[in-house]
Amino acid sequence: MKNIFYILIMIVSLTGMSLAMAGEKKQTLPAVAKPFKAPEFALKDENDITYRLSDFRGKVVLINFWATWCPPCRIEMPSIERLWQKVKGKGVVILAINVGESADTVFKFTGQLQLSFPIPMDTKGEVIKKYPAAGLPTTYIVSPAGMVTHRAVGSREWDDPVLMKQLMAMRIPNRNGK
Amino acid sequence: MMLSSVHVKIIVFLLAGFVSGYAGNIYAIDQKTGIDEQAQLPFWEVSTGGMSLRLIQRLPIQSRGYFLARGFNATQAERIARSCIFQTVFKNTSQGGQPGKASTLEYNLNDWRVIYKGKKRKMKTRQDWASEWRAEKVSKPAQIAFEWSLYPTSQQYKPGDYNWGMSVFNLEPGSRFDLEITWMQYGRKNTAIIKNMECAPDINPQPTEAL
Repeated sequence: MKNIFYILIMIVSLTGMSLAMAGEKKQTLPAVAKPFKAPEFALKDENDITYRLSDFRGKVVLINFWATWCPPCRIEMPSIERLWQKVKGKGVVILAINVGESADTVFKFTGQLQLSFPIPMDTKGEVIKKYPAAGLPTTYIVSPAGMVTHRAVGSREWDDPVLMKQLMAMRIPNRNGK
Repeated sequence: MMLSSVHVKIIVFLLAGFVSGYAGNIYAIDQKTGIDEQAQLPFWEVSTGGMSLRLIQRLPIQSRGYFLARGFNATQAERIARSCIFQTVFKNTSQGGQPGKASTLEYNLNDWRVIYKGKKRKMKTRQDWASEWRAEKVSKPAQIAFEWSLYPTSQQYKPGDYNWGMSVFNLEPGSRFDLEITWMQYGRKNTAIIKNMECAPDINPQPTEAL
C-alpha cells in the first residue's frame, strides 16, 4: 500500500518536471488567425536571378525576411541552411528575402556562412510591407495553394524535427499518398 | 484500499503544487536588473508566466557608429546616438500546447509612457522618426535600415514569438526615468512600471575645439 502511494507521488512529480522541461525548448510555428493570399513579388538575387512567388505554386514556400545587422536573423541562418539541405527537391522551397541592403553586403555575409538557398533582395523594403511584417526576422509559410497559413516572429531552429515535420506535412501528397 | 486522512492531505497538496507549477503563475510580475551577459551593459527586465521584456542599455558610441555605417550623416547619427536607446527583447513565453497557458500577446508602444521628473510622455516611435527623415531627405537605404532597426511600434506575438530592436526614450545620456508598460495577454490588459532605468552615459564624448 505504502509502495503504491510513493510510486504515485514519483510519477506525478516526474511528469510535471518533464512537461516543464519540454515546454522550455519547444519550437513553434503558429498558424495565422485567418489564412490570406500571399502577395505576389518578383525580386532579384545578387546574381540577377529573378524569383517570382507564383513560380513556386504547388510547393510549400518558406519566406524569411531578414537583414545582416539583425542579431536573431544571423542566429537562425545556419539552421535555415541545414533545413534547406534536408528539404531541397522535396516540395519545400526557401526564399530568404534580404530587406534593404546592398548586394555587396549580402554577398559578404552569405559567403561567411556558406548559405546556398535563394536570397532575393527587397532593396526598397516594399515587399515586406505587403505581408505585412513588423519586425525582423519574420517568416511566413505559403501553402501549395498560394495562401499564407503560418507565421513565426523571431528566430527559430528551423531544422528542429517538430518544425520540419510540420513543413513536410503541408506538402501536396503525391500519387502514392506520401 | 483505504487511505488515511494524512495520505489524502499529502496527495491533495502535491496535486495542487503540480497543477500550479504546470500552469505557472501567469499574472505575477517579476522584475530584475543586472548586467546583460552578451552586451556587458546594464539591463532592466520584467517577466511573468507568459512574457519577458528585457531592455539593455546601448552606449551612444555604439549607436553613433551603427547609424553612420548605414548612411546617416554625422549630425543625424549624433542626434540618434544621444536619444537614449535601449536594445529591446520582448518575448511571448507562454507555452503552446499547454491548456490554459498559451496566449497571444499584443502591445503598442504608443500606449507606453516614459516618466521623467514627474511628467509622463509617449515614446518616439518609427513613425515619429520617419517623418523627420523624410523632411531631411535622408537616403532611402538609411531610412529602411533605421525603420527595421527600431523596435516594432505594435505587434502580436503567438507563443514562441519575439522581436529584438532598439527603443528610443528621447532623453539625454545619463538620465534616469521610469517606464510604464502595458500589454494584452490572457484576455486582459497588464501594466507594470519599471523603476529607475538609466540612459547609457556618453562615455566617449566627441572632441571639442578647445582640446
